[in-house]
Amino acid sequence: MSIEEQYRTRAKELLSGGAVKMVIGYGKGSNAKRRRPIFISSADEVDRLVLDDACITNLSGYLVSEGLLSDEKRVAVFLRPEGIRAINILAAESQLDAEQIVIFGFDVAGNEIKALKGINVEEFSDVIDSIKEGAPEAAEEELFEKIEKMSPQERFSFWQEEFAKCIKCYACRQACPMCYCRRCIVDSNQPQWVNTSSHTLGNFEWNIVRAFHLSGRCVECGNCDRACPVNIPLRLINHRMAEEVLGAFDHFAGTSKTQEPVLASFKKDDSETFIL
Amino acid sequence: MSETFEPKIIAFVCTYCTYAGADLAGTSRLKYAPNVRIIRLPCTGRISPMFILKALQKGADGVLISGCHPGDCHFTHGNYHARRRWMVFRALLDFIGIPPERVKYSWISAAEGVKFAEFINSVTEDIRKLGPFEQYTQLIEQTQAPASL
Ligand code: SF4
Ligand code: SF4
Repeated sequence: MSIEEQYRTRAKELLSGGAVKMVIGYGKGSNAKRRRPIFISSADEVDRLVLDDACITNLSGYLVSEGLLSDEKRVAVFLRPEGIRAINILAAESQLDAEQIVIFGFDVAGNEIKALKGINVEEFSDVIDSIKEGAPEAAEEELFEKIEKMSPQERFSFWQEEFAKCIKCYACRQACPMCYCRRCIVDSNQPQWVNTSSHTLGNFEWNIVRAFHLSGRCVECGNCDRACPVNIPLRLINHRMAEEVLGAFDHFAGTSKTQEPVLASFKKDDSETFIL
Repeated sequence: MSETFEPKIIAFVCTYCTYAGADLAGTSRLKYAPNVRIIRLPCTGRISPMFILKALQKGADGVLISGCHPGDCHFTHGNYHARRRWMVFRALLDFIGIPPERVKYSWISAAEGVKFAEFINSVTEDIRKLGPFEQYTQLIEQTQAPASL
């Protein structure tokens, strides 16, 4: 039986037995290569679920939709390893109770789908540890290395060209499971921290603050950079930040649901060399 | 250059240590470079990276940040949190191409009036050597919103 079928059967059992009130998974999209999130709450509908190598979106963000989990009922969700890490972070940041989440874990290698064993988030710690061990590379490793080698001026010009394209649609924020704040800093106008118009200066502010707020929290699922209508390689910045917190604080975001958020904790002997 | 460049530097300091240190420098009649505008905050933990960005975007050539030495924070650990944040923020600025040398950090206690005066002088000198922060000037002009302080 294919993993898709196994998961459909499991979804059916969970829904008809009332063990979960909803299954969040992937359904057919607007064309053969696209999948869209679907929200199933009746056992008759499980055949709409699709699982293949086109299922790339990290669905964990839907779990923090207002009111979804407040009745304390359980919700099942299809997640790749990054999504599972996201659940740990959301739980560690008290945004959800991990007990309420039933995980349909899967991973994609090439175009092969692999099921990940487990139901609760704790059961996936081996998978997450092995990603950490594997020292994840940036999505576009070549470009990433090229940027690292540039002089600061060249880097600035590179990003200036990229950020100049930004239209401040905030799709990157909406798509990110970690951007759950009710009131984002860009919505705050007393004071107005980030310029509302999308001139390059304001875009710098926005993209820098976005990356900073995701430092040590981003799971590199790529939702943001796929959502960006003008293809700014946002993931490169996120990756640089992930590298930094891993190097400086041995912090790999989302290893457990009790992990302390890296920028909300400290060690007395955090070592730096730049404070005079 | 006919005239020496006078950099505009914004300092964010905590009220309990560095601001008191600045006071001491003043009451001790120490002379230091007049290029720094000090903004006093309750704690280094209150210094959001947004402040640094804003200062640069409003036309500052350099930013200076200072607070209580580790272990001396009035709120016990605001500066430890701040330190972590700065570490990450510096890496971010660097990756974006904003030279991290434009932002200077220091621990200065209420007793270190002399260190304060020397620090201001050395930072002013360093930023003067770097020259005006031109990377943003063009972007500021594009917005047609003249930099105001
Ligand atoms: S910042 Fe982008 S890659 Fe990171 S968690 Fe958010 S959506 Fe995913
Ligand atoms: S999705 Fe892209 S264009 Fe939209 S705000 Fe984010 S970076 Fe800018």
